[in-house]
Amino acid sequence: MLKHIIIAATIFILIFGAFSVQAEKSTEMFIPIGQSPGLSGEYTVMGKIDQVNARDQSIKMSGPSGSYTVRMTKHTLIYLDRSKTQLPNSYGTLADCKAGDMAEVKFVDNARSKPIEWIKVQKAK
Amino acid sequence: MKPIVVLICGLLLLVGCHTPAPPPTPDPDAELIEKGRQIFFNETFDGNGRTCGTCHPAENNFAIDPAFIASLPDDDPLFVAEFNPALKENFENPRLMREFGLITENLDGFDDLANKFTLRGVPHTLGLRFTIDSSLGPRTGWSGDGSPGDGSLRSFATGAVIQHFTKTLNRVAGVDFRLPTNAELDALEAFQFSLGRQQELTLPLPLKGTVANRGQAIFNDLTLGKCSACHFNAGANFNPNIPFPVTGNLNFNTGVEDLPDQPQDLTGELVPPDDGFGIPGDGTFNTPALIEAADTGPFFHNNAIETIEGSVAFYNGDAFNNSPAGQLIQQATGSGINLDGTQVVEVAAFLRVINALENIRQSIELLEPVARKSHQTVEQGLQLLDLAGRETEDSIMVLSAGGLHPEAVQHLKEALRLTRKAKRSIFSKSHLARQAIEQQQKARAELVETS
Repeated sequence: MLKHIIIAATIFILIFGAFSVQAEKSTEMFIPIGQSPGLSGEYTVMGKIDQVNARDQSIKMSGPSGSYTVRMTKHTLIYLDRSKTQLPNSYGTLADCKAGDMAEVKFVDNARSKPIEWIKVQKAK
Repeated sequence: MKPIVVLICGLLLLVGCHTPAPPPTPDPDAELIEKGRQIFFNETFDGNGRTCGTCHPAENNFAIDPAFIASLPDDDPLFVAEFNPALKENFENPRLMREFGLITENLDGFDDLANKFTLRGVPHTLGLRFTIDSSLGPRTGWSGDGSPGDGSLRSFATGAVIQHFTKTLNRVAGVDFRLPTNAELDALEAFQFSLGRQQELTLPLPLKGTVANRGQAIFNDLTLGKCSACHFNAGANFNPNIPFPVTGNLNFNTGVEDLPDQPQDLTGELVPPDDGFGIPGDGTFNTPALIEAADTGPFFHNNAIETIEGSVAFYNGDAFNNSPAGQLIQQATGSGINLDGTQVVEVAAFLRVINALENIRQSIELLEPVARKSHQTVEQGLQLLDLAGRETEDSIMVLSAGGLHPEAVQHLKEALRLTRKAKRSIFSKSHLARQAIEQQQKARAELVETS
């Protein structure tokens, strides 16, 4: 019985992989930068985009804690925060990330050594 | 003149007799919880008029169902899609909301509102202290991924405001709504954690009813009902006695979406499949607690089944037994779930009885401040009596509909009569509340051996 359960559980995880932490990504898009509950100010990093490197999918940012480069993956979500201009937020692409834009990034598993799960780019105009 | 003097003296004596009892030891969180209660029921966050209480009303177990919806006036904010032109299209489906209690959610994104949405029932918010935590983090909402931010219950309100409170489909923060502040999120979390039971059951209970007792045995039997594998102690957590790589409140694909004749699908309305957890979804949904189930139907994330008997019977069907969770059960135990008709009713009877016991516990908890005269205001006392009455109505309904414990039902009916009388009474509220508590206790003694 015990052996069966362990085997079944292992198969279940391998096949279905439902055991990961996941916050709701769809409403996250509408939360302005710096206001994500439980994340902003604790686990995310905010700063100004200095450089976007499309070739290696990375963004160089600078903020109060200095300069840092964050890595993106094909799963990274890019949110465009237009709430300052009272326009609806939307998904964006790397091309929407411009030097000078304010941005907030959340790392996968909140670990700064990992790529970013999402980036919010503030569009002030 | 003399009778008047006697009357006045009598009244003064009565007033003297009604000196409030000393308040119980103050709960350090009481102020925060009360602030959360005010926000939960009154704060619209500058949106379309809805509050958290719109979909989670205290008088209906913090959930809504078609019967409750039918009792609301047409200008209730729940129906905002019917009278606010900006929300007329792609915000709710009024027909499916009224007929099946379904609410529109855009969990997979807001980029195609006409076609990309799910329709879900409203889960109650009772016993949340025990239904969210897993070894991999919090699980909120029907698919466990209901909160933005850090995914916690504290963050849930932020996502709810964006999804359900907006004035227009633009959903611009500061224009269509305001987001809850950190202080408001703290208060809302404290309030929600205060709702319902504050401890888990420990099964088996010494139940007196033959049918419910057999149902409990089937429920806990990992070779027969197998219910307690995922609903340990009839709660929302995986059985810690079964070795499994993760613990706590888990997600499973139980095949509810594969049910052949889901009521909402029969209407001809667009009802896209619900892919559950994640984007794109993996088909899994979160395990709910069963203690509060019997009086909070319809059941499952899409309100697919109306009765508690039907929801137990679901696990006998092909939809479950062919699902990933059903296959897991088969691999682990050598067979699927295959209960016969009497066994289905017995498990349902068990769920009805534990629900009634929880109703009784809540009723007594609500009546006690009135009995002790420790409530703060007259209005608060009336509200406590009102809610105690509704809990008692639930316990009567839950037992009667299953043909269970008629003696207990009689005690509960008497408790309800006394509770209603207390609500009307000016001078005897406390006395009547005490009598109602006695009847609740007698009802409980009919259901379970009491030490």
